[in-house]
Amino acid sequence: MTDLVERYLASVERRLPEKTAKDITAELREALEATLDAKAAELGRPPSTDEVAGVLKAYGAPAVVAARYEGRMHLIGPVLYPWFWPAQRTAIGVIVAIFVVLTAIRALASDNPVQAVLQSADKVIGWGLGTFAVVTLVFVLVERTADPVKLAESCWDPKSLPREHIRKPKSLFESGVSLFFDVLFILFWTSLLKFPNELPLREGASVAITLSPVWSVVYWPVLALGVLSAAAHLFDMLRPAWSRLRSAMSLVGYATGLGVLWVVFQGRPFVEVQPQPGTSPEDLERALRLVDGVFLVALGFGALVWAITLGVEVHRQIKATRMSLPDARAAACR
Amino acid sequence: MPIAADILEALRLELRRGTLILAVLGTLRAEQYGYSLKTRLAEAGVDIDEGALYPMLRRLESQGLLVSEWREEGKRQKRFYRLSADGAGALEQLTAEWRAMNAALNSIIEGGRT
Repeated sequence: MTDLVERYLASVERRLPEKTAKDITAELREALEATLDAKAAELGRPPSTDEVAGVLKAYGAPAVVAARYEGRMHLIGPVLYPWFWPAQRTAIGVIVAIFVVLTAIRALASDNPVQAVLQSADKVIGWGLGTFAVVTLVFVLVERTADPVKLAESCWDPKSLPREHIRKPKSLFESGVSLFFDVLFILFWTSLLKFPNELPLREGASVAITLSPVWSVVYWPVLALGVLSAAAHLFDMLRPAWSRLRSAMSLVGYATGLGVLWVVFQGRPFVEVQPQPGTSPEDLERALRLVDGVFLVALGFGALVWAITLGVEVHRQIKATRMSLPDARAAACR
Repeated sequence: MPIAADILEALRLELRRGTLILAVLGTLRAEQYGYSLKTRLAEAGVDIDEGALYPMLRRLESQGLLVSEWREEGKRQKRFYRLSADGAGALEQLTAEWRAMNAALNSIIEGGRT
């Protein structure tokens, strides 16, 4: 079975009820295998990728094929329904992302940040519901005025099927939370958002923690990484399936991140501690060891995770390349 | 004014829909798997879209008119369908209905020409 058929089956399976999905796709696999065997016998050679794509195109768009197994009536018909929730997620996700950024800016400029956040939260619910209603209305209108089957069949290309088996598509929630923390980090890094930095040691003694000068060396690379990460997570919200472009963004991000950590590790300590009234030199030394140790463990663990993830992403790129190889073989046959 | 092609196509599909079930039930008096069933139907002059055939088979099975089992043949797992006892009864009744309708339609169509 070719990579294209596997991707097609995965796309159909994703749209079927869980209870019957495996059984239906097993039968679909059998049908496609038989059709491709007949095609190979007719041609006297294995079908090329374009010919396999032609068979799949004739069989029907995954949404249309899956819809044929659904016998129920809907406000949004079964052909358009698979696009309905992704469209809602994207539209609402974009609205929420805009609100998160606006709320952060408003909270920073406000004397009462908590109230500013609560006011925005109230508005975001209204905008979210409004967006849901507008998207639903658009789908109902398309359902009533266009021919959804023709529409679905005309706007799909078997070769553009996502490689869902290379990486499970990311959920909107996961991407949304990641984007939120990216925005928070960018605001912190650019000093638009400040966190309390006083560390109490004992009764009447505390120290103020600040980042050491080594971080200023990597200021711009870290900011660029923050922006790249936010862009990648926004991309995930719009296109959750694995793609080479998204994977390349990850590779650049993790490799740069590891480079930044290497520079920072060379310039330890990671932090500086300033004494507050009532703090002894021993307190200062102890606080520096403690906080620097915490940074060492956290950044060391981060470096390990990034290195592993970098390896996994390289493996996915190789896997995707190997799956594309039949294209070259098919071209050679022509 | 000539009738629009899409209207004619919709009418043709409507006309074929019921007869396809009769053709499938009739062919499945002997056990077949999906692809062999499609081939048999095509050889008999009944073209059916694969995308429509498999959902139809599942529906007929859920209605108790067909039974199926997965079996290996030619190093591949295939799902074989055949008519159930209820399916055989339904086929008999539908065939009688078809013959009666065919006779009536012939009479109407031929009568209209005279």
